[in-house]
Amino acid sequence: MRVRLFRRLVTAVVLAVVLLPIYWMVATSLKTYREITQDATLYPHAPTFNSYVLLFKDKGFSSFLTNSIVVTAASVVIAVAFGSLGAYAIARFRLRFGLERKAGLALLTLRIVPAVVILVPVYLLILQLKLIDTWAGLILVYTAFNITFCVWMMESFFHEIPLDLEEAAMVDGDSRLTAFIRIALPLAAPGLAATAIFAVIATFNEFLFALALTATPRAMTMPRGTGTLIGRINTDWASMAAAGVVGALPIVVFALLVQRHLVRGLTMGAVK
Amino acid sequence: MFGVLVYPLWNGLQTSTKLYRYGRAVSDIGLDNYRRLWSDPEFLNALWITLRFVTIAVAIETVLGFALALFCAKELSGIRLLRTVLIVPMVITPVVVAIVFRLMYANETGMLTALSLALGGGKVEILGDPLKAFIGLIVLDVWEWTPLVFLILLAGLQSLPQEPFEAAQVDGAGAWRTFIDLTLPMMRPILAVAIVLRTIDAFGTFDQVFVLTQGGPGTSTKLISLYGYEVAFKFQQTGYAAALFVTVGLLILALALAAVRLLRRVEAT
Repeated sequence: MRVRLFRRLVTAVVLAVVLLPIYWMVATSLKTYREITQDATLYPHAPTFNSYVLLFKDKGFSSFLTNSIVVTAASVVIAVAFGSLGAYAIARFRLRFGLERKAGLALLTLRIVPAVVILVPVYLLILQLKLIDTWAGLILVYTAFNITFCVWMMESFFHEIPLDLEEAAMVDGDSRLTAFIRIALPLAAPGLAATAIFAVIATFNEFLFALALTATPRAMTMPRGTGTLIGRINTDWASMAAAGVVGALPIVVFALLVQRHLVRGLTMGAVK
Repeated sequence: MFGVLVYPLWNGLQTSTKLYRYGRAVSDIGLDNYRRLWSDPEFLNALWITLRFVTIAVAIETVLGFALALFCAKELSGIRLLRTVLIVPMVITPVVVAIVFRLMYANETGMLTALSLALGGGKVEILGDPLKAFIGLIVLDVWEWTPLVFLILLAGLQSLPQEPFEAAQVDGAGAWRTFIDLTLPMMRPILAVAIVLRTIDAFGTFDQVFVLTQGGPGTSTKLISLYGYEVAFKFQQTGYAAALFVTVGLLILALALAAVRLLRRVEAT
């Protein structure tokens, strides 16, 4: 009985620690100016959506959202398409000098080093290509990040698929490509889903490169737009909170919808 | 597409040997940028702050995450709710996490102040004080990333074979002995994965400091990534920034390789 109570207590504490800060942000976004600065109330006494209306009317949040969705979707789709092909090649083909294994190792090295390390050269590259402050520039960079991630994740999934199945299909007249599409890809689908989900979350949330590579609402992504807004409005707490809620909502909803795949993918990679 | 990642690495090395003025390369200066780095007090300071931040944050996350995972591994009811809720901090945009914590720490209007006032205390000031701001940053990181460690370790615990534990129970081993002699050694590789993963990520922390403190007050929370960013974009010293990032990248790579090697040796014995 005592053990049970203790368990409940721990669970409650964890939930409170995780949720209270988020509650505070949502609550602040619904409060009036007076309530925030003078009364320090614990909940909004007269909830108002004023801050949200302002956000979309004056501060261009709808264009941030569009930019984020376009850039994320494009880079993840391209990366998953090419990445799974690349991963399949590394998993199945044996090249001279063990080249395929070296490629795998190189990819791993790229993943180990935090992206911030190549910020300066990437910036110079995009500058040379005249793609600063465009969708294309962001898509190019994010696709590159996502492709290495996809190849790295997908390679191990393809490894787990028994070779016999594809060989049987090829004996029956499939080419390498049709065998890949008809046999290997469907079998790796759960892994593919997890990979794509991770890529979506990482891309949507990316801030540093968006900060360096965009300058106007034309191409600014959601985190980028939110970040600048915060820099400008130092004490407009309600707007800040509303920006936070709007900025986080799409990705949190997405993550909760695909939760099962997310947890599986997360743990699959580490435990293996 | 590979060009976008591999070419910059090479280009970064080249850039790091040049002197930039007003966004243009003006001369080749060989390794001078690297020499300058080790006598730059701000760089060394940022490196030191980053090392402290990473060590403390990852240590707390590992202990907390492991404790929670052990706690959840036995009982399966209620775990689903906990897991759903714990996903949220990890997936929220890091910029927004920083906003969440700014709203908590704000000395006039923050949650801590509001709670303190409701309990009859005074105002709470976090971000104005160097030490408190640093602790505040660590608390943010722990809030955001303990769930990841937890989920990885939980999956690890659930994948352990059952027989040794049953045998231990038959032999009458206590909970503590079972933990020290069975759970810990068997979990070591997964623990190592979680720690290495978090350490590497924590070294690259940028968004959260950028929004929460901008490195302040003073330089108390100026992590190496933020300093590098400022050198590159605020002070426009492109070559020097490239050298800085190359150095940091090599440090992290060395650290990761050392960790992997250490892990292998532990496995062998």
